[in-house]
Amino acid sequence: MLRKYGLLAIALGIVALYLFPLYWMYVTALKSGTEIFANPPTLWPHDPQIRIVEVWNRLRMDVYLRNSFLIAGGVTVIVAALGTGCAYVLARIRNRWMDAVLFAVLMMQVLPSSLMITPIFVAFNQMGLLDTPRLAVVLAQAAKVLPLYIVLVRASFLQVPRELEEAALVDGNSRIGAFISIIVPLARNGIMVSSVLIFLQSFGEYVYSRSLISERALQPATVGLQSFMGPNSSDWAGVMTYSAIYITPILIVFVLLQRKIVSGLTSGALK
Amino acid sequence: MLKFTNTFRDGIGFDTVLVVMALGYLVVFSAYPLAYNLLMSFQSVDLFTLTSFDRPFVGLDNYREVLSRPETAMIFWNTVKFVGLSVLAQLCVGFALALFFQLDFPAATWLRGLFLAGWIMPALVVGAVWSWVLAGDFGVLNHMLRQIGVIRENIFWLSDPDVALYSVIIANIWLGVPFNMILLSVGLAGIPKDVYEAASMDGAGRVQQFFTITLPMMRAQLGAVISLGVIFTLQQFDLFAALTQGGPSNASNVFQYWSWQLAFQNYEIGLGSVVSVLMIGFVIAVAFIYVRSTRYEQES
Repeated sequence: MLRKYGLLAIALGIVALYLFPLYWMYVTALKSGTEIFANPPTLWPHDPQIRIVEVWNRLRMDVYLRNSFLIAGGVTVIVAALGTGCAYVLARIRNRWMDAVLFAVLMMQVLPSSLMITPIFVAFNQMGLLDTPRLAVVLAQAAKVLPLYIVLVRASFLQVPRELEEAALVDGNSRIGAFISIIVPLARNGIMVSSVLIFLQSFGEYVYSRSLISERALQPATVGLQSFMGPNSSDWAGVMTYSAIYITPILIVFVLLQRKIVSGLTSGALK
Repeated sequence: MLKFTNTFRDGIGFDTVLVVMALGYLVVFSAYPLAYNLLMSFQSVDLFTLTSFDRPFVGLDNYREVLSRPETAMIFWNTVKFVGLSVLAQLCVGFALALFFQLDFPAATWLRGLFLAGWIMPALVVGAVWSWVLAGDFGVLNHMLRQIGVIRENIFWLSDPDVALYSVIIANIWLGVPFNMILLSVGLAGIPKDVYEAASMDGAGRVQQFFTITLPMMRAQLGAVISLGVIFTLQQFDLFAALTQGGPSNASNVFQYWSWQLAFQNYEIGLGSVVSVLMIGFVIAVAFIYVRSTRYEQES
């Protein structure tokens, strides 16, 4: 019994050590201008200040976050619309063709954004897509995360028993009918968790937005944070408040869905 | 026409349409840029020829130019160090944590899940937070290291050419540990308990059990985690953007960041393509080995 609680104490210590940077972000966001540069640094703000409204207004965070939402939402819609059906077919049919498709999807999953952006920029420029830069980012980012979505959702379709689908077909459903009314609802957990993951990843997208969107009013929150930090910024309270506003919703979603995200991630990654 | 609608409703046509839609999208927005990239690496591409469809071919000139740059060797070794050290440390820390959280104590699974908070955050924000933790004069890390007596003078983590790369590596390890730990935990959970019981009845100690049971049974898992680690590490761009921008004077630059700098800051787009082509080739080779080996594991 004692051993168990000793281990628990060690575990709490390790988690605290790991999450310290996050804690430091929140504490710094609350400190006053002079306290931030105090030596030795204070582990707890003596005179907490709430800067949320001031930073939000001064840095036009409403504009940045709205753009992030639009980009992440657009990516998630495209990916869910195109990926769900493909994942289902890849889970159901095993032949040489489908193996080749799955292999191609897995290969496209690993292409780094920072290396793909050069040809994407030149090609989009020639197609005239840079006139609608947010749409350009959505299209590029959707191609980046679609393979991951397919792999994750395919894993949850694999767990839907084939007999249920066959029964639905015998009962006179069409393929589409059986797919939409029987199979997708049975795999909805996997589809939902994967969509949330895709949304969160796109919510923090940086490379494509930085390279394709030049107009400030259209940039997402990552690019806004980077240009605010600048090379010589010393407004650490502002940077940390901005970061805290940006990631707190992400952390809340994560805590609520933690268990599902962990299981979805592991089943997909190991196929 | 009726026949066509029927196969779509009830036959193979339905499956084909679903696959072709997704695959078509990937061909247009992933495969096409990939091929275009290869083409551009043999062309002279700068601001004047950017929108032109008829650019002068220069053969292997871009490749020669990239290889003869004075900074290429340094950036190459930086990339090797960045990937090697990140993957090694993520693996060791991740494995140690996975083993620890495998022990039986209250809330172990829940506490383990908290680590993924680091993984889910936008890497650019992680970079911003770390650049404050690592700050030279007022950074909390320097203060802690002084307190416990490891250093006497502040380390200028982000501006000292000797340590800048290691600062990015530290932040990258932090980012990658959770994923390693979760994947390895799944592998550990898959080892049957009675194997350990049998071993301890035969008098095998903890350490011996680790080397004779755990490590061999985790071989496939370790292979997967290492290849995924290499792939993810080569995707890392945001941390460089937030922490050092590859500086000072390329001391912390790596190929995936340099490629972007060449194309988007120096407007030497042809050269950026060359670096990109070479790195994508490497990433795909690693992914190829990984996918082939997991296939093999599955079938056997």
